[in-house]
Amino acid sequence: MSSLDSIGELLFPTLADAAFSAKPSEIEREVMELYEHFRDPLLRYALSLGIPLHDAEEVIQEVFLSLFRHLQLRRSRANLRGWLFRVTHNLGLKQLYANQRLDAKTISDGTIAKEQSDPSPNPEEELSSAQRRHRLIAVVRALPEADQCCLVLRAEGLRYREIAAVLGMSLGAVSISLTRSLARLLRADGR
Amino acid sequence: MPDQDVHLSDQEMLLAADGELSTRRAAQVRAHLVSCWGCRGRMGEIEGTIAAFARTHRQTLDPQLPSISGPHALLQSRLAELASKQEVTSWRRFLNLISVRRPAVFIGAAVFIVAVASSFLVHHSTPRGPDSVAAAFEPDVLPDRSLTPGATRRGTAVSDVCSMAHEEVVAEVSTSLRQEVFRRYGIMNAQAGDYEIDYLIAPGLGGVEAIGNLWPEPYTSRTWNAHVKDDLEERLHEMVCDGDLDLSAAQRDIATDWIAAYKKYFRTDRPLGLHSHVGTVSFLSFGGANPMSRQGA
Repeated sequence: MSSLDSIGELLFPTLADAAFSAKPSEIEREVMELYEHFRDPLLRYALSLGIPLHDAEEVIQEVFLSLFRHLQLRRSRANLRGWLFRVTHNLGLKQLYANQRLDAKTISDGTIAKEQSDPSPNPEEELSSAQRRHRLIAVVRALPEADQCCLVLRAEGLRYREIAAVLGMSLGAVSISLTRSLARLLRADGR
Repeated sequence: MPDQDVHLSDQEMLLAADGELSTRRAAQVRAHLVSCWGCRGRMGEIEGTIAAFARTHRQTLDPQLPSISGPHALLQSRLAELASKQEVTSWRRFLNLISVRRPAVFIGAAVFIVAVASSFLVHHSTPRGPDSVAAAFEPDVLPDRSLTPGATRRGTAVSDVCSMAHEEVVAEVSTSLRQEVFRRYGIMNAQAGDYEIDYLIAPGLGGVEAIGNLWPEPYTSRTWNAHVKDDLEERLHEMVCDGDLDLSAAQRDIATDWIAAYKKYFRTDRPLGLHSHVGTVSFLSFGGANPMSRQGA
């Protein structure tokens, strides 16, 4: 390749409004890798906040665009998983308030109806397990919002310290919240 | 002070199950559980309920999650767009910097850039030898990027592109330019109907009639031919004008690798065999709505 080729390559992006600098940067690749790893857990979390699916998917896109800017500005890389859940939580709530005109009850009823029509994907499950599942769902829905968030974040594998950071609570409050939720779940489970 | 003989509270058992106790206390709790049937039974119930909840959580939500491929492609193109915007901004900042006080310096720089760019074009205008021609046609459905990197009208707005008359969108390339394209690609005896001298970036997407944006596209290829690319151009034009896709992203994707762009925007691995409007395939079908227009809502 001649030196003119490389000069041309350097210049061309500026001449054509940088439309052809298609090679993804290291940060773009890193963001995409994290997306592949965390999209499902984050989407589940956003859905459990009560956000409709298409909005939830868009929230997750925003989260990863923010992550791109975050990494570009060389901000902290300590605990990116916690960072992702925290930003999902904050943007998710923002979206939820923006959707307030929607009747919240219609949404949750719709979700429950869908759950009930869902065939059990696990062949070992008996009919009684399906009933148990619905009891648990009902209990979770009746929990205070912060308790629901704690429980779902724990189910997604976050440690108490991470949950505390995502929700802006103390470590002790996380522990108390999870114990309280567990007590209700145990009762619903007939324990 | 708690020790291993005192019965455990639910909270402590949960902390133990979650690995949130100090090493010392965790050892005491383990020792107590070994010796106490009551607490061990309770611990079993707690763990059973946790497992049931975790399973319920996944089984309720996982069937609702759409495939990651659509959103994955969308995020990738948004990231690329974001990155390219930032690149332009930093160049503009640089140009502003040198032009703030000394316009003459800016003009000098511009003249230099034009001079180097035209020498680059002149360099590539010389006919190529048979070897390089063969190399250029290795995957003959894609243009040689060094000859045809694509070129756009600067500052084209979406409204310009979408208000274009149909004649402008399917503009014919002038005869002299056609000959020049064939000459650069080393094609001597092209039969009418073998090739379309095509715009890499279509006029309907802001592409210009310039030597760097034209290439001989074979009609004869069985799969990825000129007709298939026309479908892609129509699709991208539609998406840009519907606000579903950023114009610069459309330009970049079609210029980089139009076959990859076809696969991405039609969500398929092979041509759909449709040379007409494909209204039902929506890139954003996972949401049904247009997320771009919702930004900032």
